[in-house]
Amino acid sequence: MEDYLEMIIDLASKNGATYSEARYQSDTGESILLKNGTPEMTSFDVRRGISMRALVDGGLGFGATNLLTRRDLKALVVRVIRMAKASSRMMKNPISMGQAELGKGIVEVKPRIGFDAVSMEARLDLLREADLAGVNTAEAIGVKLPGRYLSLDALVTQKIVMTSDGASVRSVIPKVSVDAFLTAFEPQRGAAQRMLSLGESSGWESVERWNLPERIEKESRKLAEILTKASPMKDERCDVILGPEVVGIISHESSGHPGEADRILGREAAQAGETYLQKDSIGMKVGSDVVSVVEDPTIPHSFGFYLFDDEGVKARRRYLIRQGKISEFLHNRETAHVFGLPSNASSRSVAFNREPIVRMANTFVEQGDHSFEELLEDVESGIYVKNFMEWNIDDRRYNQKYVGLEAYRVEKGRLKGLLRNPVMEMTTTGLWSSVDAVGKDLEFNAASCGKGDPMQGIPVWTGGPHIRLRNVRVGGVS
Amino acid sequence: MKAEEICDLILKTCRSEGASDAAVSVSEVEETMIRFSNNEITVSNALREASAFIYVADREKKAGVGVADLSKKSLLSSAKRAVLSARRAPPGDVYAPLPKGPFRYDETAMDHPRIELTPKDSVRLVQAAIEAGLREGAERVAGSMIVRNGRYVLRTSGDVVASARSSSIEMSVRAFLSSVASGHSTAIASSEKDFNPSEAGAEAGRLAKAAANPADGEPGEYQAILGPLVFADLASQVGKSASAFNVDAGLSFLGGKIGQRVASEKISIADDATMKGSYGAFPFDAEGLPSKKTDIVQDGILKSYLHNSSTAKKFGTESTANAGLMAPRPFNLVVGEGDKSLEDMIRSVDKGIYVTNDWYLRYQNYATGDFSTIPRDAMFMIRNGQIEKPVRELRISDNMLRILENVSSLTKNRVWVKWWEVEVPTLSPAALVEKLRFTKSSM
Repeated sequence: MEDYLEMIIDLASKNGATYSEARYQSDTGESILLKNGTPEMTSFDVRRGISMRALVDGGLGFGATNLLTRRDLKALVVRVIRMAKASSRMMKNPISMGQAELGKGIVEVKPRIGFDAVSMEARLDLLREADLAGVNTAEAIGVKLPGRYLSLDALVTQKIVMTSDGASVRSVIPKVSVDAFLTAFEPQRGAAQRMLSLGESSGWESVERWNLPERIEKESRKLAEILTKASPMKDERCDVILGPEVVGIISHESSGHPGEADRILGREAAQAGETYLQKDSIGMKVGSDVVSVVEDPTIPHSFGFYLFDDEGVKARRRYLIRQGKISEFLHNRETAHVFGLPSNASSRSVAFNREPIVRMANTFVEQGDHSFEELLEDVESGIYVKNFMEWNIDDRRYNQKYVGLEAYRVEKGRLKGLLRNPVMEMTTTGLWSSVDAVGKDLEFNAASCGKGDPMQGIPVWTGGPHIRLRNVRVGGVS
Repeated sequence: MKAEEICDLILKTCRSEGASDAAVSVSEVEETMIRFSNNEITVSNALREASAFIYVADREKKAGVGVADLSKKSLLSSAKRAVLSARRAPPGDVYAPLPKGPFRYDETAMDHPRIELTPKDSVRLVQAAIEAGLREGAERVAGSMIVRNGRYVLRTSGDVVASARSSSIEMSVRAFLSSVASGHSTAIASSEKDFNPSEAGAEAGRLAKAAANPADGEPGEYQAILGPLVFADLASQVGKSASAFNVDAGLSFLGGKIGQRVASEKISIADDATMKGSYGAFPFDAEGLPSKKTDIVQDGILKSYLHNSSTAKKFGTESTANAGLMAPRPFNLVVGEGDKSLEDMIRSVDKGIYVTNDWYLRYQNYATGDFSTIPRDAMFMIRNGQIEKPVRELRISDNMLRILENVSSLTKNRVWVKWWEVEVPTLSPAALVEKLRFTKSSM
């Protein structure tokens, strides 16, 4: 396959490309789905092909095909060069690829238990056991689970990335994920719903560690309790402790996305939107001193794991916010050149036929020094929001809404009864500035981050410790 | 191998391996895309892909295999794997044989002319949209244009022999006067002659200019006019929620409501893949059934869910010819027209808000329809029948069924919408909603 990629890069150079890059990517997936206890279609999918990018006279072209003959690949190069040239004619600001620490080598995540070792029947049996555990535990407290959706996906991604300026990286990364969606129903109280995603870059050993029957049983019991016991709350101003799941989505939406350099430059303006941050916002105070938000693709077994990005650049840990101040943006080589910086390896693509764009990997609030009990004991009157259901944020990443699912009243440092759907609607700087203490725990959830056009849903982790916000307004109705 | 030969080879292999039902499709796609921002082209994309999908059932046991490598060796091993996987799979809850053909299809819908554009032609269309936006007063214009030519071939064990060519061209364009004053518009068509990027660019530019210097909006309950982009988003939620798969999984606010009133009597929403010349028209579904029009909501009453053969059997009804690869889905949604002009609608509002676009629609509860979405781009306060001023920083936080019930009028003019937020092509009017809840950030 490397021969094909070298041929593409040679041919692009001969046809006037000042930079070119070629990528082979294959994604082999196996998927099972249990809906209301019944298996849906078992599916297998192999997607593989070659893509390339070429920079000609400042215009950038991207192309891809899964027709892997020399003739088809040569035709691909010709098409991409023609398109890049055509677009270069209306460029006032020619595109360039900046300097970066380019990689050479092999990255392979070896699963301890390969997917081949576990039959599809055994996987379905596990989902059934989890499903049944959920149904039984909810029924024991008088609640039905009429809508249940459990899926288990295994994916192996192989990539070879080569660039005209010397990067050459081969990687093999397995991923496994479970998505659960539960609807609890009780005639007097209506319905409550819970979504949960787990995912890691590893083999079947992760699924064993997740202990799905126990986890789904716990989630179902808690959902049934929320439905039957949670009390409505009135609008109030109070202290709020947020759990790692909520902190994770906030880190992703209110720090990760605003810090994507392509948004800052307006490159995503018509799709994923822009950001409240400007090119010169580095150093800007957006939160309290205890807030630091990290973006790190290199965490072993994380869902967003990689050591070299899709431009062949070596990955590293990045601080998006450090002690309350904007510290670094996420860059690919194109945006980094505009900023006069080396790329920090944020270029990713979800499949062979999608262009690499600036993406997050694993985004989380850095741990502090408080235990959960210490966060709690200083709250005279407040709430604890452990997880959430509804959320959204505007396209400048400044106004967000999170609606809690499992949430508790806190009085004099103690957890009290369940609260129904507390609503937090606040600005990004208002939120980060309200944080007065950060926990020393750390948990992650898996997510698929949507961006690009065509849409690219890419695996990420979102996470953090518990954090405490002082004196924020919480709404009682959504 | 040609697509037809691939289908025949796989089907023959699946049968000889003992599959009771099999469907094989091959899709060939050529796509070009230009993304632009800051009045310049960001990147030009070219995609050429051919792939196959094999569906096999051994009575209630089902498996699907996607195949990217279309060599004979790969096809044969994939077919055998599909049959073996189905045989080993635990049984599903119903067995519905694939529809028994052969069927007759609308021939005019089966051989759509290709859209032939050179790279220079594509750049010219993008330039036209950008220039139109700038002429109307915008300072910068961004967006994407996608041209797609495809061919889809299907063979099933139910003697379905079907193939169709489809073509489409679409542009999503957003114009900015400042970072807080923007307008959005879309242009979608199944042929170049019906494609008007200049008008889309101009509309986005006009909206951006009208949205200059927005004031912070005040939360509360208002009369609201939802422009076609916004109402198409809501209508597409109705379309997705009507999929019997989503109803079954608890992912629908329409569950258990067939025959009940779910919207104002002004509202009718159909899925209609037979609508000639429209973007989402297609002659047959993934099981080979000829496309048909299905009324989902008629005069406010929920008439039907969208079905494939399996969900239809489970729900005790007939397939609506909405089979996708895994689950039933809407193809081409059509909201019935109203009788108002947008101007008359604005004149009828004493105090209200006109929302031209939204995004990030997220549910708190799919089963009840509680959700919120964020107005994006131009939004205006209306007072005494006139646009008073542009506003921003508000969120729509309400309930899907309550909003649909509160629609008091629709415009006669309808617009085809498909973009990042609205994935299913939807022909939508603007709608006047009598009471709509707006919220905003508290700090």
